Amino acid sequence: MAASRTHALTFKIIAECKTTKARVGKINLPHYHVDTPVFMPVGTQGTLKGLVPEQLVDLDCKIMLGNTYHLGHRPGPELLEKAGGLHKFMNWDRCLLTDSGGFQMVSLLKLAEIKEEGVKFQSPHDGSEMMLTPEKSIEIQNSIGADIMMQLDDVVHSSTTGTRVEEAMHRTIRWVDRCLAANKHPEKQCLFPIVQGGLDPDLRKKCAEELIRRDVDGYAIGGLSGGEEKSHFWRMVTLSTDILPKDKPRYLMGVGFALDLVVCVALGCDMFDCVFPTRTARFGTALVPGGQINLKNKMFAQDFRPIDENCNCSTCRDYTRAYLHTIVTNEAVASSLVTVHNVAYQLNLMTSMQKSIVDNRFPEFIQNFFEEMCPEGDFPEWAVEALKSVNVRLTE
Amino acid sequence: MKFSVLCVRGHGARLGRLSSVGHQGSKMLDTPMCMLYTRGGSAPYLGLDMLRKMENIPPVAHIALSHLSDHYEAVQAFQEGVAKFTALKDHLVFTSLHDPAVEVHSGFNEKSGIAIWGKGGKTKIDVDLFIKMQEALLPDWYQALSDGDTSKDTSRKRAGKSVQRTLTFLDQIVERHSQSERLKNSALFGVIEGGYSEKDREHSAKETSARPVSGFIIEGFHNMGPKSEQFRISDVSAIIQKTLNCLPEDKPRLMHGVWPPDQVLEAVELGIDIFDSSYPYLVTERGAALTFSHQYSMNSVSDSEIGHTGFEMDLKDKRYFDDLTPISAHCTCYTCHKKFTRAYINHLLNTSEILAGVLLMIHNFHHYFQFFKSIHSALEENKFEELKEAIQQQKTSVISKDT
Repeated sequence: MAASRTHALTFKIIAECKTTKARVGKINLPHYHVDTPVFMPVGTQGTLKGLVPEQLVDLDCKIMLGNTYHLGHRPGPELLEKAGGLHKFMNWDRCLLTDSGGFQMVSLLKLAEIKEEGVKFQSPHDGSEMMLTPEKSIEIQNSIGADIMMQLDDVVHSSTTGTRVEEAMHRTIRWVDRCLAANKHPEKQCLFPIVQGGLDPDLRKKCAEELIRRDVDGYAIGGLSGGEEKSHFWRMVTLSTDILPKDKPRYLMGVGFALDLVVCVALGCDMFDCVFPTRTARFGTALVPGGQINLKNKMFAQDFRPIDENCNCSTCRDYTRAYLHTIVTNEAVASSLVTVHNVAYQLNLMTSMQKSIVDNRFPEFIQNFFEEMCPEGDFPEWAVEALKSVNVRLTE
Repeated sequence: MKFSVLCVRGHGARLGRLSSVGHQGSKMLDTPMCMLYTRGGSAPYLGLDMLRKMENIPPVAHIALSHLSDHYEAVQAFQEGVAKFTALKDHLVFTSLHDPAVEVHSGFNEKSGIAIWGKGGKTKIDVDLFIKMQEALLPDWYQALSDGDTSKDTSRKRAGKSVQRTLTFLDQIVERHSQSERLKNSALFGVIEGGYSEKDREHSAKETSARPVSGFIIEGFHNMGPKSEQFRISDVSAIIQKTLNCLPEDKPRLMHGVWPPDQVLEAVELGIDIFDSSYPYLVTERGAALTFSHQYSMNSVSDSEIGHTGFEMDLKDKRYFDDLTPISAHCTCYTCHKKFTRAYINHLLNTSEILAGVLLMIHNFHHYFQFFKSIHSALEENKFEELKEAIQQQKTSVISKDT
């Protein structure tokens, strides 16, 4: 980290896959450094599902997410500022990334109305009319103090078509400039624009091309993972990474299923987040090579193996499936134990990918991964196509 | 199991030592002591990775049969006992019938067996099933099957019946225990019943001590659960005194319940040696942190920064919204030491995040376990009265000075 650094983020590519678009990199940020490709667990309200930050450090997690919409409401920017930012408030001294709050606004609130000025919505608490503008979003994110912030974007559901998608795309571009201008701490908090454009290749392309003209430290790809068809999804991803500059990290928002991660790393994405691994832990679902198991299932009542014999997390070191079976969904502690494992699973997957890319054997890694995930050889068609586009032919 | 009373202070408070306990013969336990409260074999909110970050965890884990009744077959198949099954293999295990933090439904016990309540509902346990369960669980010591379904309003007749049933169970268990290869390292505690009837209690105590038990559990004053926090041992101190007079000195005595600090001290003074730690759990469940001082060497309570009434601090209270100090500046628990603040815990409670339970449970356990250390040293230094006085002051006085 050079002392004269004016940017909050620097990115260095360590290795590139010779076959696919995958790469391994190192992001330096004010609080810590992050090795990519990276999965970022989501700690919506300034805590990750019953884990103390030290448990995340023990798992070597280097960056996590906070949600601006939730944190802006509770505990609110004033207290966060008084506390010296979210890092200090929650006792996490590694990296944080915050979203803009726009997504929650549109997905959680029925009454949200998007105007040029911002997102107008009714406070779910006192019913009063409120406005989340690009400036307001950045103001809150500045109070939170995350290393990486997201621009407020005009989010449309991925199934939306027609002029609304185009309008949203253009507005997203206009809003990024307002966000950049509003950032009070560019030296310690960087800001990512978000590539929008729905499932329309032309709009995506236009959006990406417009955004890369901004002086920013990295880019996000948004508006996907909303239940759209996977054959559209991967095409939008690969189209975006083709345009986005190689020397800046690319964050694919809301994607975190193992199979999607492997494909999208191959398509050139560096950062991912998803609530699934932590949310599902509460219901007793544990992630394992080859998929997931629900520990509530009677078949585990007398299974005295750990969740995953090859996993090194504290839960797998100490606990059996049989014991977890007796406490999942009954005891709060079970939720933390399975969360620890699921985060470990996600982080291990990313580390394995990093290693295989560095060792120049990522295509073999992909092949092995798919064989384990789909032992019947029934590889999802979209994944086969997507991988083919980056020169990996899955063989059955 | 061996027990020796090292000295008796005041009216009857005992400093004792348990040795040759169960499967880990080398462990020594000093009494008065409390056990680690668990739910289904885990400390509430705290996995082993978190327990390892804490100090002074009691060596005895307390597991209620009611939590495991739906799953004992798995433990049976596992063969190595409940301590290893629940990942508490470094702990000794005591199994009680009920969870002291959960109210026991009244009116379901029968001559042939008693009802325990787990997640899957009611399980009726007769002696046969009871022994089968214990053989699966392999506890270091266990509570005999008992009918403790009595309280203040119980009739004399019902109280007598609870004594009789419990003795009948005990005779059968003693026989089965002596024949059991699996239970040869497990110690059996007999249970004293008799409700609020002095005569029945005395009878129960005499008869139980005539049988080969390693210790005694005194129950049947309340039906457990959060309400039993209102139980005042002073209301029954005369009965308990008479009961204890009928018991041999050289065996430990355990009483289940939700034990606030003042009640613990009164029970210790009567001669009770072993306690639950369900109290810090219930305090956690109501979003509060234990903050009472158990310093007895000073004349007055010095923790004036606390600013609250009674033994605990209600962290749900709005006043802590922006209070960026730890629960207690002097506390050495993980939560306070790592500087998690009142404001942060208040936020976690407001947003119903599990971490609130984690951080409070750590603090409250720590505080309670330290309190038991203080009881110990106060007895050793012959300053039990001072400790009682310090606790008594906080019970009644209002310390409202804010920082």
